[in-house]
Amino acid sequence: MLTKGSLFTTLALSASVFLSSALAAEKAPSAVKEAVKSAPAAVKKPGGQQVKKETGSATATAKAAKAFAQVSAELYPKAKQEGNLVVYSVWDVEHLRVITEAFMKRYPGIKATYWQGRNPEIVTRALTEFQGGQASFDVVLSDNAPPVLRAAGAIMDYNTVQREVLYLHDPNMATVSLQIQALAFNTKKIKPADLPKSWEEVATPKYKGMVALDDPMRAGPLSSMLAGLKTQWKDDARFNNFIRNLKALGVPVHKSTSAMFRLVIAGEYAICMPALLHDVMEEMHKGTPVSYVKTVPPVVFPRQAAIYAKAPNPNAAKLFAEWMISDEGQRTTDSIGRETSRNDFKAKTSIESAYGKAMKPLPVTDQLFLEDPKTWLDKFVKPIWEG
Amino acid sequence: MTWKANRLALRQGSIFPLCASAVAGVVIMTPILVVLWRSFTSGKLGFTVAINVDNYLRVFADKDIWPMLSNSVIYAGGSALLGTGLGGLLAWIVARTNTPGKALVELMPLYPLLMPPIMKNIAWILLLAPKSGILNGMLEQFLGITYPVFNAFSMAGMIWTFGIACVPLGYLFLLPVFLSFDPSLEESAYIAGSRPINTMLKITFPLAIPAFISAFVLNFLRALRSFETPVLQGTPGNIKVFVSRVYDSMALEFNTGLATAYSVVLVILSVLTLYFYVRATRFSERYATITGKGYRVRVIDIGPWKYVTFAAVSLYFLAGIAIPFVVLIVVSIIPYFDYDTFMSFPSHMALNNYRTVLRHASFLNGLRNSVLLSIVIAVITVLAGIVMAFTIHRTRAFGTKIFEFIGTLPLAFPPLVLSVGLVIIFVGTPLYNSLWALGLGLFVAYFPYAFRNASGAIVNIHKELDEAAWVHGAKWRHVFFKITLPILKPAVGGALFYIFIEAIRNVDVAVLLTAPGLEYGPVTLFEYFRVGQWAEAAAGGVIYLIILIVAVSVAKFAFKMKFSL
Repeated sequence: MLTKGSLFTTLALSASVFLSSALAAEKAPSAVKEAVKSAPAAVKKPGGQQVKKETGSATATAKAAKAFAQVSAELYPKAKQEGNLVVYSVWDVEHLRVITEAFMKRYPGIKATYWQGRNPEIVTRALTEFQGGQASFDVVLSDNAPPVLRAAGAIMDYNTVQREVLYLHDPNMATVSLQIQALAFNTKKIKPADLPKSWEEVATPKYKGMVALDDPMRAGPLSSMLAGLKTQWKDDARFNNFIRNLKALGVPVHKSTSAMFRLVIAGEYAICMPALLHDVMEEMHKGTPVSYVKTVPPVVFPRQAAIYAKAPNPNAAKLFAEWMISDEGQRTTDSIGRETSRNDFKAKTSIESAYGKAMKPLPVTDQLFLEDPKTWLDKFVKPIWEG
Repeated sequence: MTWKANRLALRQGSIFPLCASAVAGVVIMTPILVVLWRSFTSGKLGFTVAINVDNYLRVFADKDIWPMLSNSVIYAGGSALLGTGLGGLLAWIVARTNTPGKALVELMPLYPLLMPPIMKNIAWILLLAPKSGILNGMLEQFLGITYPVFNAFSMAGMIWTFGIACVPLGYLFLLPVFLSFDPSLEESAYIAGSRPINTMLKITFPLAIPAFISAFVLNFLRALRSFETPVLQGTPGNIKVFVSRVYDSMALEFNTGLATAYSVVLVILSVLTLYFYVRATRFSERYATITGKGYRVRVIDIGPWKYVTFAAVSLYFLAGIAIPFVVLIVVSIIPYFDYDTFMSFPSHMALNNYRTVLRHASFLNGLRNSVLLSIVIAVITVLAGIVMAFTIHRTRAFGTKIFEFIGTLPLAFPPLVLSVGLVIIFVGTPLYNSLWALGLGLFVAYFPYAFRNASGAIVNIHKELDEAAWVHGAKWRHVFFKITLPILKPAVGGALFYIFIEAIRNVDVAVLLTAPGLEYGPVTLFEYFRVGQWAEAAAGGVIYLIILIVAVSVAKFAFKMKFSL
């Protein structure tokens, strides 16, 4: 008979059936234990980016080309045997389509597919699959997600053979592109003479009401800039004062960099702190009244093709990472307007072509920020910003 | 209820709707229980370290929680009131008055539903931004008003944008009620000398209270967990709402457990809201307007006021879709948006963005998948929702009120949290990375709409109809298929339409459940919004909207399909 109790029992029994399968999928005991054990070790790994010089030498270029030819010849037969490549990425679908089609054309017999999501979605999905012991994808092509996944032990170490030509090199993950942040402005709203000369100068009272500020308390462009400045300045008082002055501007903060940039173009704000260089260049190319301050050092953040620890097609994954860094891969990356990662490649949006040879950019290399942005922000930014 | 009542329920064959509701309940509860379980674990980057209540301690120690909750309640309450109130008024105009242009007027309140929320946000930001907004620009250019009259980045701006988007739901919920009124109730008032306006205020509207509260509850919960409006309009105005804490937990810490613990606060609010609903409708017979007596719905001649009501519907149509749509069309054909370029758009026109969108890698495949899946999910979800509502309100079994809570619960969870639960369930099973998983995800996400819609409508059907059948020895299937379902036809049509439209444009739930190589239209198309290509996004949105508007209009006028009427 259907009493309250029996109804609950029915529900509870069915729920337990569903739950047990769900939790079994979540548990994958050995995989989790292994991962939990290896996670702290992964955090301690020397995985920081090493800043390389801005322009490459002919020797390094030749050496990289030779190394790529060798590794490509070695990996391709094995990758072909695997037959597939699955990429998780934050990049636009159209960009992913161009990249994967070029890769498949270069390496017939390997079918490349992709899934596109934002960084939190990539991390959530990848970690859930990792915990479930799933060999579900091969490569994460993104900026913020790879270091976080590495800290969780979900990334397989891979040191690219073309490291000599990389602007930013990470010995565990191949840096295939760069995220370059620029100080952008609306050319109709502010005269060149009135522009700030540095990131620090933006935080002065004369720019009150003119600046669109990315939320410094999220893992976004402004917080990565802060991490870069902290490393470069090595001066806590100066760093704290900068944050204090930013807060004193009393300007609105934005959680969406792209929406913020659109509002700067619309004329709602005069200065965008910061914008992505490839977005600015693309808009300038279209004739949009927007530009960037060429004297302010760009902030450089690595975009990596990181190989998943349980990749079902590890050779295809390595081949893909190497191909992305190769001359052909960089040309393809440049063709879609993304920044390239080699210091010897003349790209449309390279630091050299956008800022000139003399510019010393600001790389983001703080390991704690890269792998655990929340802890870094709580430690260095929150006490001042929210204090 | 007694042992006797349960035995009677069994004899009437109520075991089937009970079991069907229990199955639907399990499907709904499983992802919720999975994420709730996670909220009682602490760990790093998804790895469980210990079982404890650390996440909850963090949530309740958060000093910002009360100001944020207060903002959330003002925003959600304001939006729900505006949307449901206006929706109810439009439903009354369409159902009960002799407003001219009926065929068009019937559809006008529904078209705004076709526009995805984020498109509305962008359109209203471009219209209402303090310095660069079109309306403020016009006021300055034509009237010399330099002070920004409108501000998209304010609580009022947020309530306006989301409230306007809540209208179709209010309209769809209340229209069947106004259409199925027993006119004898109003006629009695007229005979007693009551004026039409008094009758409307004292008889008509009070009888629509259950459906109004049902729609209000849904709109309130939708607003409570909505993310786009608070992020795009609230953050620049320094208005922090509670749901941003949920997303920060996911985006900054990648901590599903903490995100769920924050969501539990939303669950508590939802339970309180539901309690309010259950209390308000506890004497459901009071609100029953469909009885055993035969009748025809009476249309009231409102005289010259019919032009005012026509103007009211048209005004909503303008604000709800026409103006934002025109803004998006212009934005899609100009190289970039600013006030000057917008106002001189004929000299800047280009169709590049349309070419880009139509060449999109997965536009057609994705669209086909999403259309098919949305149709199937809408039908299954609506049927399941009606069965659950029937189980609660019509079977005699004890304890069925629990379904009231279960059926609404998914609304309390932000979609990203809910989809994490679904991924955890499906990962490692053959369902993972298939359209089935996505379908189940959409079922869980949209079940509350189907359920609350059916629940509100069933309350309006007097039990005497069922009781007559029960007395004559009918089984549940006779009552359900021959009495309840036919009477609910208007509500069913509305719910089908609503869930189909919501599912076909869903991104939040779908994003984690799509798979490499499995294209889903909204995810690929609305990615333009996500990456900030507003012009391309506007072009994609315009194409998408035109397809839907044409489909709805053809269905309505060529095939005489009834979505809600």
